[in-house]
Parts: sequence; structure tokens; C-alpha cells
Amino acid sequence: MSLSNILNNWSHYRRGAEEGGHHDYEHRWTMAINLDKCIGCNACSVACYSENNLAVVGKAKFDKGQAMHWMRIERYFDESEKEFPDSGASFLPMMCQQCGAATCEPVCPVAATYHTPDGLNAQVYNRCIGSRYCSNNCPFRVRYFNFYSYYESSWPEPLNLQLNPDITVRDKGVMEKCTFCVQRIRVAKDKAKMADRRVIDGEFTTACAQVCPTSAIVFGDTMDKDSQVAKLWKKQQVERVVTKQNKSNSELRGYRIFEELNVDPSVMYMERVRDTEI
Amino acid sequence: MNGPVKRRDFLKMMGVSGVGGTLAGCDLPSTVTLEEGKEDVVSYFMPEEYVIPGVGVWFASTCLQCDAGCGIHGRVREGRFLKVEGNPDSPINKGKTCQMGQAGVQSHYNPDRITQPMMREGGKLIAVSWEQANSALKQKLSNAGKKIGWFTGTISGHQSALITNYLDAVDASTESHFTHDVVNAAVWQAVNKDMLGDSMPELHMDKAALILSFGADFLGTWVSPVHFAGKWGEFRSAEAGAGRGTLIQVESKMTLTGGNADLWVPAKSGSEGAIALGLVNYVIKNSPNAGNNISSEQQNLISSYSLEKVAQIAGTSQDYIKRIGDALIKRSPSLVLAGASVEGHEHGYDAVAAIMLLNIVLGNVGKTIQPSNATPFPQLQAKPGNTRDLIEFTNAAKSKKFDVVFFSGSNPVFTAPDSLGLKDALGNVGFKVAVSTFPDETTMQADLVLPLSSYAEDWGTHVPAYQEDRNIVAVQQPLMNNLYSDTKGLGDILLDLLKDKKPDEYGSYKDYYAYLQDAIKTLRGSSSIKEPEAGDLQFWNKTLKTGLIDVADQKNTFASTISTENVTIKLPEEKTDSAYPYQLAPVARLGLYDGRHANLPWLQESPDQISKVVWDSWAEMHPNTAKKIGVSHGDLIEVASENGSIKLKAYIIKGVHPDTIAIPLGQGHEEFGRYAKGLGVNPLKILTARTDSKTGELAMYATRVKVTALGKEDVFVRLGGNDTQVGRKFVRTIPVEVLKRTEGA
Amino acid sequence: MIVSEKDINEQIKWAQINTDVLRSLENPRKAYWVALFICFAMFSCAVVAEVYQYQVGLGPTNLNNPHMWDMYIATFVFWIGMSHSGTLLSAILHIIHADWRKPIYRFAEAMTTFSLLTAGFFPMIHLGRVWNLYWVLPYVSDRGHWPNFRSPLAWDAFAISTYLSASMLFLFIGMIPDLAICRDNTTGWRKKLYTAISLGWTGNDRQWRTFRKTYLLMACFLIPLAVSVHSIVSSDFAVSIMPGWHITSFPPYFVAGALYSGCAAIITLFVLLRYFFRFEEYMTTAIMEKTAKLTFAIAMVWTYLNLIEFGATWYGHNMYDKELLIAKATGPYAWVFWTMIFCGMVVPFALAVQKFRRHMPTMFVVSLFLNLSMYFERWMIVAPTLSMSHQSHQWDVMWPSIVQWAIVFGSFGWFGILFLIFVKVFPSISMYEVKEMVYHRKREAELEGASAATNKPNLEGAS
Repeated sequence: MSLSNILNNWSHYRRGAEEGGHHDYEHRWTMAINLDKCIGCNACSVACYSENNLAVVGKAKFDKGQAMHWMRIERYFDESEKEFPDSGASFLPMMCQQCGAATCEPVCPVAATYHTPDGLNAQVYNRCIGSRYCSNNCPFRVRYFNFYSYYESSWPEPLNLQLNPDITVRDKGVMEKCTFCVQRIRVAKDKAKMADRRVIDGEFTTACAQVCPTSAIVFGDTMDKDSQVAKLWKKQQVERVVTKQNKSNSELRGYRIFEELNVDPSVMYMERVRDTEI
Repeated sequence: MNGPVKRRDFLKMMGVSGVGGTLAGCDLPSTVTLEEGKEDVVSYFMPEEYVIPGVGVWFASTCLQCDAGCGIHGRVREGRFLKVEGNPDSPINKGKTCQMGQAGVQSHYNPDRITQPMMREGGKLIAVSWEQANSALKQKLSNAGKKIGWFTGTISGHQSALITNYLDAVDASTESHFTHDVVNAAVWQAVNKDMLGDSMPELHMDKAALILSFGADFLGTWVSPVHFAGKWGEFRSAEAGAGRGTLIQVESKMTLTGGNADLWVPAKSGSEGAIALGLVNYVIKNSPNAGNNISSEQQNLISSYSLEKVAQIAGTSQDYIKRIGDALIKRSPSLVLAGASVEGHEHGYDAVAAIMLLNIVLGNVGKTIQPSNATPFPQLQAKPGNTRDLIEFTNAAKSKKFDVVFFSGSNPVFTAPDSLGLKDALGNVGFKVAVSTFPDETTMQADLVLPLSSYAEDWGTHVPAYQEDRNIVAVQQPLMNNLYSDTKGLGDILLDLLKDKKPDEYGSYKDYYAYLQDAIKTLRGSSSIKEPEAGDLQFWNKTLKTGLIDVADQKNTFASTISTENVTIKLPEEKTDSAYPYQLAPVARLGLYDGRHANLPWLQESPDQISKVVWDSWAEMHPNTAKKIGVSHGDLIEVASENGSIKLKAYIIKGVHPDTIAIPLGQGHEEFGRYAKGLGVNPLKILTARTDSKTGELAMYATRVKVTALGKEDVFVRLGGNDTQVGRKFVRTIPVEVLKRTEGA
Repeated sequence: MIVSEKDINEQIKWAQINTDVLRSLENPRKAYWVALFICFAMFSCAVVAEVYQYQVGLGPTNLNNPHMWDMYIATFVFWIGMSHSGTLLSAILHIIHADWRKPIYRFAEAMTTFSLLTAGFFPMIHLGRVWNLYWVLPYVSDRGHWPNFRSPLAWDAFAISTYLSASMLFLFIGMIPDLAICRDNTTGWRKKLYTAISLGWTGNDRQWRTFRKTYLLMACFLIPLAVSVHSIVSSDFAVSIMPGWHITSFPPYFVAGALYSGCAAIITLFVLLRYFFRFEEYMTTAIMEKTAKLTFAIAMVWTYLNLIEFGATWYGHNMYDKELLIAKATGPYAWVFWTMIFCGMVVPFALAVQKFRRHMPTMFVVSLFLNLSMYFERWMIVAPTLSMSHQSHQWDVMWPSIVQWAIVFGSFGWFGILFLIFVKVFPSISMYEVKEMVYHRKREAELEGASAATNKPNLEGAS
């Protein structure tokens, strides 16, 4: 971002979030999670451990709240109409929502978390100095800090052989979070570039979406209008960069969590359904 | 895994990326082959097509983390097996896996694996060489004559066939092969076999408008969870034929499936049969066409099961049962399932039969319950694990029936209730051989331990017990070379045993790999293969590429007249005992399962789906029960049955019947490596060894317990600090009418 | 009974002032060494804890997913707050010509500097990767990396370093004439030291004129700086979107709190210095009374801003904010909250009573209560918000571990070491300004007397 660039493109950079921010997105990686299909089985969470070299912290540290589950299944016992346990529990897969107007980004003193042209909140582990402000400012509380060096405790020989070589093992003092499996995105983009084409929908997906036994998680690029996820967003009439959805049919199931905070999450949830006629 | 040359040549011949067995190219095989002088060292500078540094390749295999037989793709890079994904070709899981499948890599790379043979000397297991182990084994086997047994978990495919052949070769009966699994559907299968003539009929959940499940945790641990979860996705989607399906779950403790129910009904375990009969009664009365297939004599008996009586037996509200009855009448087709909590009683068989009767009355048989495919290779068919075999084995061992017993793929010392006396019985077995990957409880009791390769290093074939849509034989191939040079595959160990007995028949096979290649060639020759390729090699390649063999559909047929005569209408009343006022529900959970995955740190750290507890055991109880006993959340309690007691923490939750104390399986290991040892308790230990009167299965839910409060403890180690959304609407719920309006469900 | 007493006895001879103040630089008594040792021991605890934490990571602090910050940040804000005392007493009172500040501003300024030196540690200690600390500074990197200028933490780095250098300079400049006095009255290494740092002060007119202008300029520069520094520290919280942090009134609230804690700390040290160095002649009860009145006024401002915050939260009717406010008052941290309210809003009313104001032991105890309240205030800002924010699933109650306590404890030791060394090396009462004060008072008294007796004031003897 040179000075001349800023001066020449000032009007471009000063666009507000409502106009899509100052980003010229190449892709907008997005998710749609159907909470009526989600059974809360944890497969996504473990797949994430496997794909992203997440540390197992052990009982004592888990107790302290220092666990590293980028994808966690939140289980709630209440819901508006009926009292638990009549209609079961509520499960919510919660991971980094890759907000378009992310609150974690402006507060990092060293810009270790920034917005990529793909619309992701990238976390640069090398740059992170561990001030942890990003986590404090995340309304979803989905950023996880390496309170220890877990390499030896979490991957005793030969468990370390399992580590995914595509991504790093984070050392102590570094913040980490769900990346939408950025290593897979990279591979797919590189492949597409080599073949001189756009990334095809369904060519790859995140570890959680791939494993999800009920296919509750759909991942894709909303810039690709024909992608499954773009269609779902469209069908549910959920749009980016708004604080309140303007739906022609207010009963449509799509919603984003903490939309009112104007963080513009990239994850659309679809309401859980319960049969109340029985 | 011997014979790298052969496989390498074979791989070269194929020259197809993404197909093949283990990879040469990682450090270990190069060294080995160099020493053997059989092959050149392959440099990374001249990589084979399948070992491009930095590029992952996917190999098809079969998951052995439970017995469902899901197809997997293992990601291999630089000769290392890195990640499990579902195999989209597999009709079982269609490209998906569960968390246990994901954690497969951790059982492969587990730091506590057994790396070399061990023999008991002076009461201790001492590391020995294979030669020493083999010579000791040979001697014991020749002395044993035909007093040889095999004790395994659920097993199928050619390994199972080899065990049968081996027992045959030593003149032991096939009765000497025991298959034991705590998590099973043995009674369900027995009832199906007797009533429908098909022990594992296909359950078409996607076609059902309503599923009524009596404790069948089909999303968690029942039969084929990933498969059913996939079907659940279709069941829950508005686009599916019957619209969005509705689930009613009746059980004593909320399982993962119960957590997803539209209506969750707490009922005493053991009362499900009565509820089913009550519902049959209600349906017959309120639905004009129902009940044709039931004799009037039986109808008379059934009519005594009024809703009121049933509700009282179940310890639940009559309104619930009426609602279920109305739903069943209104929504068709439906599907009624019975799970472990139904089976686990002395009248378990009768209760399941009553539930099947409900299916028959509702006309579900033939609609949502359809005949399964017959396996054209009966010798490969799954021998499902059960608990009857555990009891029978214990009795056989007590009467000194065996001199040598092989244990593999099952951990009876951990799963057997103390009251069964297995530990003492094992003392009567002259020589216990554990063919094992991990130092589990059974292995540590053995006299000889043979190090088993992990499932990602071994060859094999598996015939999933539950199959739907397509008929397959799942193929397991190594995803990487042996991590430890001294471990051996199960097939190889069996083959070595057989070579001794029948050298003329098996001597020509260099190893199990060669045997399997030959065996699959033979399969191709049979008419039952759907699309045999032109040549043996092509067929073999295709098999490895897809990870399965497509077998021609050959539907079983249900018995022409489905007999309901055997259904016992008079179910025994639940015994109550003021000294032991509560029912113990030992529940398997998706994750640690029956305890076999307690040594996988990912699964230990993966919270229980309902309670969200990690790394621990807990006892779930209803708030009212807790009040009565005087315990609060997190307190230490003692749960005691007639046969022992365990100490653990109380977890107060409404999702459990007030008469039930639910304790998850999985923890309480005394051995089993660093991650499992010393965590939590094992509720199986305090079970009272009662059995189902018809099938002889262990009545797992029939144990009664008392609870004493022991005072304050630390709170649980669990995920999340809050069970409620505090008005935040993270998970928003809409009634199904809204979905009908928007998506036409 | 209203006691009207002089701020200072105008009859003190200037030579006497020199002697009294210089005496405090000499011959440390046994108590001094004991105090120094205790401070050093406290500091050692922190060093041990920090070395451990550096080796292992931040895990042993008990910090966790919702509680990413805790005592370190609270203590940081606390020390930054303390640092406002010197600036306030020195610069603001200097500009408004409140000359009663003169005997007490030097140690207050020293306190500013040392508080900042202590505060500066905490952003470092709390970092996950301290060794990369310099990345928050805008240095020219061959990779073209810059800090994130949008982040309040980067602002902190600038603000604190500016404030630290400015207040050190202010302290030093104000000390130059005194250093010259020291130079003229000492021998040995002290002589050499004072010669070097008194920068050739001879006290001629030109020097005095330049000195006055510079000092005034620094004072004028420092006041907005001090206000901005604490406003920026408040943006560490106010810029976020978290309930309990995202509050518009935070900058003035923080500044008021800072002045409050600064005043409280001044009273504490006032009493200690007066007692140990026998400065009763200079640090008089009259000055204490004025300081106490000032503190009371600031306490009321702080109380008001606090109530405003509660009121705004209540009327704002933001679900998250309100829920947090209720939890602060009733939740697991409630005892901290109510201690803060009691010590910060009720205890200062003791300052309204003249009897208490004039009783040094009482003032000492009261000032400690005020300091405690201010520490709790900072902690109550940091911890409860993190314990329950938007994401109810991650709610958690956390108490800091021994590692955090050790480091915080040790920071007081570090401050003590610096302060103890200071009082033995530098005059902790400004000699030249006390002389001015004495002179002016004397002149005023004489003017009053002259207007009665039409006598000319006797100005001789002023050199």
C-alpha cells in the first residue's frame, strides 16, 4: 500500500462496508449451515483437529479453558417454544465466521490478522506477537491462543508423523483460529490457475464440510453465482454487508449470528426446525 | 508387510496414480530393500508418479474404527498417512466419516502401540523376538491339540474365513470362535431373523415420514451411524419424498439421536415393549385397517395394554404416548426402531418383538423396512459381535475347555462385568495369545502378545453387516508401510498358523497379500460380481482404486407370511427393589464408543455430544432424583449395584428419566496407554450378569443401583460455560409449519 | 473549629532549606536498607515468575479463551493512572499558580516517571511473544511491514513512550537548579554526577529566564499529553465492541480515574516521606489539606462519571451491557465491585472532614483504600467483560494464578526500588521552589504588614 496508491485510489479505499468495503474480492468463501440437519456429532470438530494440526491440550488445560477446538459444537438446552428436553437439545457448530467487517482485524497492533482478497480473516502466525486483543474483540469467541508450546505434549512420537505438512504447527504465544482450510483453498486456486480457469464449485471443500455425515455444512464461493452455497444464500435471501436482512418472505430460515453488530459474518445458519404438531 | 519388491513391481506395472498399496519412497522401505539388495534406492529427485514430494495421494481402504465398514480415503504424502476422508464410492458412508473414523490416524500413530512380540516370564511381559514367540506358540499349539479358541470382535471377510479354516484345520468346532462386542444389535437381529426371515433388513429412513426410535442411537452408535446420518440428512430435508421427517425418541437417557428428536419422551428402560404394545393397541383401535395381521387372540391380550397402564409402566406421561400414537396413525410410512436400552433386559427379545409387531401393524414392513441383499459369499459374511459369546466363552473357559486362546480386536477383560468372573476364568486358559495393536487390559493378561499392524498397514476384506442401496465387499489396503518393522497383519498371522497345519493348501502364499490377491481373483470368477473387469489385474486394480468390490444385488425375501404368533404379548413387569432404586444405563457414545477409542487423544478431547464433558466419566441424573439423593451438579457420588460400586461425578440434566442413572461407556481403563489409563470409571464392571431369556445376550440395562452422595468435588472438565443461550438466539427454532410454507416440507 | 494555618513557615532560612533537603540524601538509615531489600525481594518474585512464564508460555497465568487479558492489563492501567499524579500536581498547578504544590511536586513527578517505567513492563509481559515486541513500533523494515495504525495497542506504544520521555524530561528540567545546589554541596562521586547533570547551571538571569520558559512550555505540553495518554489507554477498551468496554465516556472516565489514583498515591508517599525524612516543615498539614481537598474533588468527578456509566448502561438498554452491569453487581466478581464502590465512592468522604485531613495516619490509611479501589476499578473493567460477553457459550469465571499475582506484586517492588534510589540520589523536595515559595510568602506577609505600617518590604537577602 504505497502512498501514491492511496492517493490515487482514495475514493476507492474509502468505500463503506455497505458498498462492499474497499475490497475487490476474487472469491468470497462462504458457508451455509443447516441446523436442522446438524446432529451435533463432533465429526467436523475432530476432522478439523486432523486437518489443521490442532493441539490436544489434555484434561487440566481443557479445564482451564485453554482448549484449541477451532470448530466447536455448542450445545444449548433451551429454545424459545418448548422447554428442554421435550424437543431435544440445540446444536450449533461455531467456528470463525470470517466476518467481512471483522472486529479482530483493526485491533491487532501488528496487523497479524488481516483481510484477504478472498474475504477471509487471515491470521499470520509469524507476525502475531500475542497481544490477544483480537480474541477479546471477537464476539463469537472463536480465536484460540497457544498458551503453551504443545508440540511435545500433544504429538509425542510417532504421533507427530500425522501432522499435516501443508500447514504449520503453532508455537506458544500465537493466536490461531479457523481458516476455512486455507491450505485447501490455496491448492484449489493454484490448480485452477495452472489450468487457466476459475475454481470449480465442489472441487474442494473444508475438512468440516467434507466430513459432515449429514451434509449440514455447505462451503463454497458466493462470487460464483452458480455455486451451491450462493444458491442457498440467495434462496434464503440472506445478503452480505447488511445489519438487517430485507427478506421478501420473513419466514425464510437463513440468518447470521450477531448480524446486528455489523460484523458481516460469512456463515449463514439455517434455523433448526421442530415438529410441534405431534 | 513383506515382499516390497513384488508390490513395487506391481505398482510400476499399474502406473496409475491414486491406485496401489503402500508407498515405497518413505525412508524405511528404501533402507530395508537396500539391505536386502533387492532394489535400488529411490531418490526423491526421480520420484515415482505417486510419490511427488508435496503432493498428497489418496488411497481407498476401509475404516475399522467400528464395525460399520465405512469406505475411506487415506491421504498419503511422502509415504505418510495423514488424513482420513470418506470414500464417496462407498454405499455405506458416501464420502463421510464420523469422528472415530477421523481419529483413525491416531490409532495408527499412537505412541502406545505394541511394537514387538512379548512373552510372559515370571509374571511379566518381556519383549522377545518373533522366532522365540513363534516357537513358543508352536509348542503350545501342538500340545493343545484341538483345544484352541479364537476370541475376536465383529469380524468378516477373508480374515474371518481364515479363522474358520484354521479352527477347522485343528479340528476345533466353529463354536470355538467367539465374537464379542458390547455395542451390538444382536437381539434386534435375532428378532428380525425370526419374524421377517432377514436379520439385517434395510431401513429406508429417507422414505419414512416418521421415525419412532426406542433407544436406538442410530446417529451415534447403532448399527451403521454414518450411513444413517447420511440418510438423516435426506430424512430432514424438505425436498425429500415424504417431506421433512419427524423423529420421536423414547428412551431413558438422551442419546445423541434423542438430542435431535422432535419429541423426546423419557421412559424407563425395559418398558419400551409395553409402550409398543400400548401403541399397537391404540393404533388398532383408532385406525380401521390396522391389525389385520394379528390374531384376535393376540388382539385380546394386547387390549389390556391401555395407554394409562403403559404410561404407568414407563413412568412417563400418558399424553406423550397418546401423541405418539396419533402421530403414528397420521404419518405413514413410519419406521420404528429398537436399540440397546430395549434389548438390554431379560425380556429384551420380547420387547424388540413387540416393537417389530408395531412396525407390522403400521404396515412399515415392505415400505421402510425392506429385505436386504444376501451376501453371495457366506464364508465372508460378518460374524457380528455380541455379549452371548462373552458369557459362553467365560463358561467354556471356566470348564477348562481351551488350552490356547487367541484374542484379537476385542477387549473382554475391560468389557466383561466383574460378576461374570471372566478374570478368574481366564486363569483356566493355559496359554492366552493376544494379537493386538495396543496394550489393552486383555493384552496385558496374555501370556504371549503378538504385535498387530494398525488398520492402516494391513490388508483385508470386510463385509459390512448392515448394507443398503448396494451390495459390496469392502477392501482394506495399507495406507503406508509398517511404522514398526516387527508388527504383522492379522491375515499374515493367520496365514502363518494355517501354513503350519495345511502347508499344501496355504504354503504357496508368500503372505496374506498374495493370498488376498488370489482370493479376489477367485471372487471375480464367481458370477456374483457386478462388473468384473476384463482381466485379473485390471479387476484387482479397480478393486484397490475403489476400495470395494461391487457384488450383484440379490435381495432376500421376507417370510411370505410374517408371523406374529411368536410375539409374547405378556411382558414381565419391571422388578423394583427398594435397596437399589435406580436403573443403571451404561450408554455407548459416539467417540470413545465401548472404550476402544479411549486411547485416542482427539476423541478424549472431543466432548460428549450431550453433556459436553471431556476426559472423564460422569453419571447423568434427573434434577428431581438429584434432589432426592441430595447431590448437586459436580458432586462426587458412589453408584453401587449388587456387584460392586464406582465413584464418579454427578451430572444433573433433565434429559434422563428420573429412575435412571446413566453412565457413559469408554473410560475406566486400567491399561491401554497413556491417554486412557486412570481416567474415569467403567460402568460395565458393576453390571449384574443377567441375560436375555431368549437370545442369551447380556442384559446390559437390567442392573439396578443405589446412589450415595460423597460430597463436593471439582466441577467437570467440559466444553462451554453455559447451557443456555441467555436470550441470544444463536440457534433459532421454527415450527415445522413455517418450513412447510417456505420450503414445502 | 477552623484552623487556618500557613502552608509553610515563611521564616525558614534558605540555608536551612538546603540543609534539610540535602540531609535526606545522606546516610541512609537501617530502615532504608530494609525497605530496599523488601522491594528487591518483591521484584525478585516477579522476575522468577516472568522467567517461568517466558519459558513455558502464558498458560500458567490461568488466562483462557474468554479471559485473554486479566491482571497484567489491569495493572498496566493502574500504573499509567498513577503516573498522572506528577503531571497534575506539577504541570496543572504550576500553570494555575497554585504554589502550595512546590514542596511536594518533585516526588510526585518522580512517581510519574517510575509509574510509567513500571507500567511499560506490563504490555510486554502480557504479550505471547515478547521477543517480537518491537514490531509494534514503526521502524523501517525491508519487508515493508508497518504496525497497524488502527490498533489502540499501537497507539499505546506511541503514547506511552512519548509520555515517558516527556515526563522524564520535565522531571529533569525542573531539577536542574537543585542539582546545581547539590553540586555545590557535595564531594566525591556525587559531585561528579551532579556536575555532569546540572548542565553548568550558575543561576544567572539568562539561565533563569530560559529555564522558566522551558519549564512552562513543558508543563503546557504535558497537560494535553497526559490527558491524551489516558484517553488512548481507555481506547484499548473503548474501541472494542465488547459490552462494558464500548463506552463513550471512557476517556474522561479514565483520566479522572488516573488523577484520582495519582492523588491517592501522592497522599501515601506524602505521609511516608514526611515521616521518614522529617519533612514536617515543608510537607505541612496545610499542604496535605489542600491535596486532600483536591483528591476529594477528583473523587467526586470519578464517582459522577461512574454513575453516568451505570445510568447510561441502564437507559441504553443494550442487552449485553445491562446483563454485564447486573452481573458485576451480583455475580462472582461482586465483592470486588462493591469494594471498589465503597472504597472509591464512600471512603473519600473522609476527606471532607478536616479532622481526618489533618491526621497523617488517617490520611495514610484512607489513601491506601483509595488506591485499592482504583486497582479494583481497573480489574473490574478488564475481567467481567471478558467473563461474559456476547457469546454466552464461552462464559467463564477465572481468577488469576500465582504467576500473575507474583508479577503484579513484584511491580510494586520495582517501583519501590526506583523510588528509594531516587530519594537518596535526588532531592525529593524542590529546594529552589520552596525558597521561592518562602520568599513570596514572606513578601506577601510583609506587604500586608507594610500596607498597615507603610513600610517598604525588605527584599534583601534574596540571592
